[in-house]
Amino acid sequence: MENPVISVRTARWGSYVVAFLITALMFATALYASNYFNNARINDIRATQDDISTDILSLETQFDLLAEHSCSDIGENTILPSELASLGNQLSYMEAQGAKSEEITRLKRTYSLLEIKDYLLMQQLAEKCKLKPVFILYFYSNKGDCADCENQGYVLTSLSQTYPQLRVYSFDYNLGIGALQTLISVYDIGHTLPALLINGKVYYGFKTTDDIQKILPQLKTLQKAASSTAVKK
Amino acid sequence: MGFLLYWATQMDTMTIDLGIVYAFLFTSLYFEVFLLASFIERRLRGTQAPLPRNAELPSVAIVVPCFNEEKTIASTVHSLLTLEYAPEKLEIIVVDDGSTDQTLEIAQQFEQDPRVRIFHKENGGKHTAMNFALAHTPADLIGCLDADSVVESGALLAMVPVFNNPMVAAATPGIHVREPRTILQHMQNVEYRLSVFNRFALASLGSAFITPGPFSLFRTRIIKQLGEWRHGHATEDMEMALRIQDAGFLIANVPEAIVHTGTPRTFPALFRQRVRWTYGWLLNAIDYRHMFGNREYGNLGLIILPSAIISIFAGIYFFARIVFFSIRAIIASIERISATGVYPHASLDLFYFNTSALWFLIYMSVALVFALLCAGTLIGTESRLPPKATPLFLLFYSFLVPLWLSVAVFRAAFRTGVRWR
Repeated sequence: MENPVISVRTARWGSYVVAFLITALMFATALYASNYFNNARINDIRATQDDISTDILSLETQFDLLAEHSCSDIGENTILPSELASLGNQLSYMEAQGAKSEEITRLKRTYSLLEIKDYLLMQQLAEKCKLKPVFILYFYSNKGDCADCENQGYVLTSLSQTYPQLRVYSFDYNLGIGALQTLISVYDIGHTLPALLINGKVYYGFKTTDDIQKILPQLKTLQKAASSTAVKK
Repeated sequence: MGFLLYWATQMDTMTIDLGIVYAFLFTSLYFEVFLLASFIERRLRGTQAPLPRNAELPSVAIVVPCFNEEKTIASTVHSLLTLEYAPEKLEIIVVDDGSTDQTLEIAQQFEQDPRVRIFHKENGGKHTAMNFALAHTPADLIGCLDADSVVESGALLAMVPVFNNPMVAAATPGIHVREPRTILQHMQNVEYRLSVFNRFALASLGSAFITPGPFSLFRTRIIKQLGEWRHGHATEDMEMALRIQDAGFLIANVPEAIVHTGTPRTFPALFRQRVRWTYGWLLNAIDYRHMFGNREYGNLGLIILPSAIISIFAGIYFFARIVFFSIRAIIASIERISATGVYPHASLDLFYFNTSALWFLIYMSVALVFALLCAGTLIGTESRLPPKATPLFLLFYSFLVPLWLSVAVFRAAFRTGVRWR
């Protein structure tokens, strides 16, 4: 007669293997789902970058046609600064999550180039159309050699939310792209980070909201302008 | 070994931490999947055959060990008197374990019923009260009902048939929370449904390792053969179950036999109770360590006992990790606010929704617990919906458990002893 204890208690290796396979499948599904959503995010960022790139190209073309058109056809906000800022936030988030670092670096390069192009274009527009855009160029490092960079990032994000027309361009100092290195050498920005380039002058070290408001008194006019018409001639 | 050491030195703390987290998650998911798969297999095999109509019922003695239970003893004995069972085959033995309140006087009111016998002895602990009754009964089966519990009338008749199998030394019922009132009791009500499932699944694997106080039944002959109840580090129900398993007998489970037991109303009382249970479990595990990983004990030795121990340390590790990272995040936020003057704000943008593999695994684990809860509710109450406090249980209970686990591990390490109340 079969021993009832043995038949109940004996290890059934088949059950162990089946449970192992199901658990492994759950792990694989979790990894796949995580990867799927990260890819979806990266595609989101890429699509936004494409949109911004098209906007810049459109603005450049409009600019080339300036001789035939008046400045009134070109708005200072043709490319929304908030769009660039939100793209920057999304990239920092993805970078902090450690998602596909090569892909993120590639996206950051494109983002930095878009920022430089936007900056140059805005400068040209400002000169031709007598606009007074307010810029801050922010140089940071996330290699662990800049203790205050994270806090500086929070201050600038908060400022750009308070003043939607403020254009904050943030650059990873260590990103090896020619245009960025040229920008760094043109303004002679040293490796003391965080560094802020405001009105052609470089400021090193952490700057609070109050510090920046003192350096950039135009910010207060921006706040007023934010509630009135966005386009200036 | 050298390679392992080299490998360990090459990894940073965060990598080691993630490795431990994934290993614990894999183990706990594996255990949940294994139990669920066994449960489904057991359900497909069908349920226990009922006792033939003309079969002779075994004689049963139900022991009510009590110490200062004046508030609940009457309802406990009263519920036993409503049991559907041949009166000449049933005796109810109340053992007053040196109570200093009115417990004995209240119990004596039931003495006119021929099924009830009342004994009084000096206080010596629950195991001594059980042994006292064991020495005073000729019954085939001896059961125990804690004096804070009440039993449904059909429970005994539902349990007796499992003793047809001569290798079954004990049977456990489906235990539910008695009249839950506080939020904590409602959360325990959910937890007990999970236990209904666990007890059933473990019994179907021949691996039950606890015979809880509320209405566990034992075959008297086997208990006498194995020796009396022992103190068992204040958890005599675990010690006896492990001894039964060690001797190669079976512990069955009958979820249809329903018992309602009183549960702690406040957190300090619950904390004390759970520290005692975990403390007793850890020290009994040390006493019966030869069973761990031992193929001779089948599922119990290979999977169930090791998983039960691992789950304690996994719970503590996860909790410590959450506390560590939360404190770190709070300190960072405070420092940031004081340095920048900028207050953080949560983003509702779906882009920032955490979709790391770790979180997916946590979601899956919670979903599995929910599935086990539904299964426990189905076999325990035949309802398909778990209790209303289930969301509360899933959200908060796992933060309470590690508190008593940590204290119990500490106390077990230093063998400090524990109090019953």
